[in-house]
Amino acid sequence: MVNPGYRHFKGEDWVDPTPPPASLPHVDEIGSTSAPLKSASFHIGSVCKEYNEDFMLCKNESRDPSHCLQEGRKVTRCAISVLDKIEKECLEEFRAHWQCLDAKNQELGKCRGPEKTYNACVFKAFGWTKNIPGAPTNKPQIHERTPLTQ
Amino acid sequence: MSNTAAAPPSQDMPPKGGFSSIRYERRLPKRGPSGLAMFGILGGVMGYGWYRLYLGLDERRELEREKIWSRIHLTPLLIAEADRDEYRRKCAALERERVIMKDVPGWEAGKSVYNGTRYVPDVIANVPIHQQPGFKQD
Repeated sequence: MVNPGYRHFKGEDWVDPTPPPASLPHVDEIGSTSAPLKSASFHIGSVCKEYNEDFMLCKNESRDPSHCLQEGRKVTRCAISVLDKIEKECLEEFRAHWQCLDAKNQELGKCRGPEKTYNACVFKAFGWTKNIPGAPTNKPQIHERTPLTQ
Repeated sequence: MSNTAAAPPSQDMPPKGGFSSIRYERRLPKRGPSGLAMFGILGGVMGYGWYRLYLGLDERRELEREKIWSRIHLTPLLIAEADRDEYRRKCAALERERVIMKDVPGWEAGKSVYNGTRYVPDVIANVPIHQQPGFKQD
């Protein structure tokens, strides 16, 4: 990658290999690409709600990256645990859904078929349901409807 | 002319029983439904179209809501990861600054150029000096 104004730098020149300070507790990064994250996002959002809100409130206090490291570690650990659980119980359904998302421009509306089995499996295994906040309550949510166009 | 004067006058008279009546009013055949019915049909077609339009707009709005909330749920995770990386880079940059400026008296490494306490992210990317082109290890 060439950054604007820095044509004489190769992309590797921007990488800082210095490890994090030893005083910082180690945490695994999520290590997932966008499609599995998007597929699991509503479950991450519902299961890790408290950690996420705690972190965002902390970020609201200060934008300094060193201010919310502790809350950030909790957020990442919680998301990793959610992904691990889903992969343990519903690996096939999960994989079918995120690979569909990868193939369909990551539009959730175009992967309702795999999503249905995936949501059913997750509900059966953990009792987690997908709930979109703010959606009208007098009609079914968008992932429970029949799409107007296929 | 003279011999006809005595003859009884001959005059065109109506036929026996009189003329048949003349149809003088417009009698067009009845074509199609009435105006009110056409108005009603038109309204029905447009109403159905508007209903379908409402369904489409509703679906589009809900798909957008779903997409936005899937991103909102992931935002803390992504910010946390980026923050850790930024913190690591800042610590490394501070250490480099300390080594480079150790001979300058009165230099405070990592001191903000602003007087306020508000956090300001770095505007210029801090590239590790040992990786810059032309850097020689001595």
